[in-house]
Amino acid sequence: MKLLEADGDRFSFYLTPTERAVLAELLEAYPCVPPAHARHRALTPETPDGTSIQQLLDEALAEQRQATRRQIRQWMRQPDTLQRHGHGWKLQLRPGEVEMLLQVLNDVRVGSWIALGSPDPLPQELPRDPERAHALATMELAGWFEMSLLQQLHEPPPQA
Amino acid sequence: MSHATDTTEKVQPTPDVSDRPAPETDPGWLVVCWNDPVNYMDYVTHVFQRVFGWPRHKAEYHMLQVHHQGRSVLTRETLEKAEHYVHQLQSYNLHATLERAE
Repeated sequence: MKLLEADGDRFSFYLTPTERAVLAELLEAYPCVPPAHARHRALTPETPDGTSIQQLLDEALAEQRQATRRQIRQWMRQPDTLQRHGHGWKLQLRPGEVEMLLQVLNDVRVGSWIALGSPDPLPQELPRDPERAHALATMELAGWFEMSLLQQLHEPPPQA
Repeated sequence: MSHATDTTEKVQPTPDVSDRPAPETDPGWLVVCWNDPVNYMDYVTHVFQRVFGWPRHKAEYHMLQVHHQGRSVLTRETLEKAEHYVHQLQSYNLHATLERAE
């Protein structure tokens, strides 16, 4: 994944065919974090009005995740999102879409981590169990795309 | 917090509480972000910049506070604004909570 150009309101990245296939699979996995997961508890139970505040936050988050799910699928179907480019593909992103993609990739990363049992520290070796191995690989791949996006967005655009 | 690069470790943070409102009658609500082992340090910094509109050095200061101290109070606000910020942070999958300020 390499930044091809940034013109202010649109970023273009080059993806190899493998990167494109992996990215599509990661995006298909969204949402990955279970809706009722404890990390979304915003308040302690003893907080006054805590239940109603928590309910509002839960509803807002669930609505947003549904909207993001629709948005990411619609975005992937748009013809200008992914276009053939040399031996690979050109991925085009507008600023709002960069944030959406980061949120989605991180959700897949965190959801995979939760599926592994929220280990701390993170596992250093691939588990033997195929399901857990898949979760760890998904977590690492989502993280790789996440960091590639962040690092290249903060680098100066390539010279023509 | 997960290390992806070590660039953020070079930051020498200085406390900045300039944007926190002074309490008058209502002490308000604190927006707290908690450490976790899965989110990258650069990601957390980026999210703080996006959600609060902070410059990078301030976002890095709070990210490092989360990383080293386990939590950071990001801001003190009215309940409505604090809920908004917690919702924004949670939409990025950061572990954020609300606390009654004292």
